[in-house]
Amino acid sequence: MGVSGALARLALRHAHLLVIEVPGYWLTRVAVERLAGVRGWRLAVSPADADILAVCGSPGPELALVVARLWEQLPGPRARIDVAAPDLVAAALDQAEAMLRDTPRQRRDSTARDGQGLDDAPGGDIALAHGSEDRDGLEMDVLQVRLGPVLPDWPAGLVLRAHLHGDLIVEAQAGVVDAGQGGPAGGGHVVGGDTSGDIRQVDAGEVAARRCDNAARLLALAGWPDAAGGARAIRDRLLTGDRSAAITELARLRRRVRRSWLLRWSLRRVGPLPPDELARLGLAPDLTGDVWDRLNGMLDRAVFVTGGPAGVAAGGPAGAGVGGPTGFDVGGSVTPPAAVASVVSGWDVATARLIVASLDIAALDVVTDG
Amino acid sequence: MALVAVVVVAGCYLAHRALAITRRPLLVSPFQSGWPPEEHALSRYHVRWYLVTVLFLAFDVEMLFMYPWAVVVAELGATAVVEMFVFLAGVLVAVVWAWREGALRWV
Amino acid sequence: MADLPAVVSGGWAPVAAGLLGALAVAAALLDGALAGRAAGVRSGMGQPAGEVARLLRQRRRTTVAADRLLWRIGGAGLLGMALMIVTVVPLGRWTLFDLGVGVVWVNALDVLAWAFVWLTGWGANSAYALVGGYRFLAHGLAYELPLMFALVAPAVAASSLRVGEVAAAQQGLWFVVWMPVAFVVYCLGVVAIAVWGPFSPALGRDVAGGVTAELSGVDRLLFLAGRYALLAAGAAFAVPMFLGGGAGPLLPAWAWVLVKAAVLLAGLVWLRRRVPALRPDVFMEVGWLVLLPAVLLQDLLVAVVVIGG
Repeated sequence: MGVSGALARLALRHAHLLVIEVPGYWLTRVAVERLAGVRGWRLAVSPADADILAVCGSPGPELALVVARLWEQLPGPRARIDVAAPDLVAAALDQAEAMLRDTPRQRRDSTARDGQGLDDAPGGDIALAHGSEDRDGLEMDVLQVRLGPVLPDWPAGLVLRAHLHGDLIVEAQAGVVDAGQGGPAGGGHVVGGDTSGDIRQVDAGEVAARRCDNAARLLALAGWPDAAGGARAIRDRLLTGDRSAAITELARLRRRVRRSWLLRWSLRRVGPLPPDELARLGLAPDLTGDVWDRLNGMLDRAVFVTGGPAGVAAGGPAGAGVGGPTGFDVGGSVTPPAAVASVVSGWDVATARLIVASLDIAALDVVTDG
Repeated sequence: MALVAVVVVAGCYLAHRALAITRRPLLVSPFQSGWPPEEHALSRYHVRWYLVTVLFLAFDVEMLFMYPWAVVVAELGATAVVEMFVFLAGVLVAVVWAWREGALRWV
Repeated sequence: MADLPAVVSGGWAPVAAGLLGALAVAAALLDGALAGRAAGVRSGMGQPAGEVARLLRQRRRTTVAADRLLWRIGGAGLLGMALMIVTVVPLGRWTLFDLGVGVVWVNALDVLAWAFVWLTGWGANSAYALVGGYRFLAHGLAYELPLMFALVAPAVAASSLRVGEVAAAQQGLWFVVWMPVAFVVYCLGVVAIAVWGPFSPALGRDVAGGVTAELSGVDRLLFLAGRYALLAAGAAFAVPMFLGGGAGPLLPAWAWVLVKAAVLLAGLVWLRRRVPALRPDVFMEVGWLVLLPAVLLQDLLVAVVVIGG
């Protein structure tokens, strides 16, 4: 036991978590990420990479099934925690650590399962891809792949059903997981959880943190982990109350991003959205431009909110339609999933992921698209 | 060295057998954001790869001439240099043509 | 240092492998430390050890209808490739394998990365992993030719494909000084073969880890170790090709080889923190229309200097 105990201790200092955010539990997810980072743990990108499955919030029936499937895909040693609120995170992580440390228990768990999935019985019943014509009229295999709800740096609850030619999305339908379960997908303590025009009691720090979180996701998808880590650190500072340090760092991050010509070159001309297109799709008007513009817009909005007058009203008084710095929509809008499906069609998966991340989604409308 | 490589890889697998919580691999369905896959992933890929591959092959074959040329170019002198780079310039024209046709533009 | 390296017996192969391993571990430690500093975590340096422990403890996985043989060959192949590359790298006065066409040998090996990375993506029968594998091929189509032509430049200057002779030809003036374009392109190629930093979209977060999406346990460990080993082997091979081999004051030649390799390796590791990923679709045009002509001009310049001198 000496060797395996030592191995377990060493391994536990670097556990990997797969975090699942139930729509509406944004703050809980952020707390999990922050406290896991403090322990030196890292975020997993797939179940194969994960030791801990952290479910933030209480999933509806559809998401619960997804979670159960993922749980079966974790190789083990594995631990599952369900966290319902930010202040319960620390205890849950301790609990996960204890579960992973318990080698005999993990052995029993592993020998008890030989990996037969739940409903998707392995072997046999997976079909082969069917053919169809591609954009040049050539015959091509079409693969039906669903992106979301569980994917690194993906908006909570979004499910995109993509028809792929290779890695090219030729057509997509979007929906929200557990859409039938009442209330907008971004309920709870999500900023802008409802669409009424009232001035709400929204903490400016939280609004800015949300923008930083979305910017971090976009930067991570653009393959720049350091800048993404910086954006996450600012997000955590904004939420834990260290506002002045966060504002300084935010300004620095914004300069760093603007100065990176490589990033600019990589994101320019990707997913251009003219104002009339945005209006047609029901997206906020400040998303005009390409992914690069939208990334900078996100950071600008974060700066604007933290530096602006105290008690900023979300969306401003009917401000969503006004251009210019005073008309920032600070995250009160609800994104229709159909718009997401529309803007990714025709792009390859990598670019589509950048475009989705650039939409600065705070909440999704549960009205599903065909 | 090939033997060393085999020993290293085999050593890692043996260490894993001794230390892992279970030796037997776990059989799972491939990850697809939590949904069961509808089809096997192995499918024909988009045609854009093949256009560039053909272009690549032209240069790759050219490379075979380049290695022996590299050894003897100092002896043969200016003619060898001129011949090789006239040939390379010819192939580069093909690249420019392929680029104008859009074979290198993917998005 | 004009004399060519002497061939030592194959019994020294474990030593060469150990040195490569040491360089690879050093790269992993440095990467962990840099990542830790960026994230504000103390335990950065311990990350490689923790990661190894974690993966040795973790259960292996296999997916439904996986092409298991090819999948495992791909995963372990990168490490084997790196070990085979260092056989032709002379360590000062000694070399394991004094191949007459050493440069071609390395070139042939680096192309194997295409097969190994793509097979790792293909074998799992996973849509995300396959997308990752094809992304690597897209990068490969763009970086491989410039890399090949970059390797030719030192060979032309030395009129030899023997690595020891290329190193010996750099007396007085290192090749990196008068063929900087070839050197930079070569370094880009090494980074690409190791699926590192700007060339990591094949392992992208957007496709759940891409090629590695379904790997766990020792299979993942071998793939990741192979990446570090390739980065180290690539840095080591740059020493006889561009950085004057064992030439240098005070220290013995073998020590200079290690020092130069370590410095270049540290630079490549650090690069990852500074730059975002190069999207394969955008890099395609850069590789063909910028890097390829640039490195061909470099070759022309070298050839003209050689026949003139």
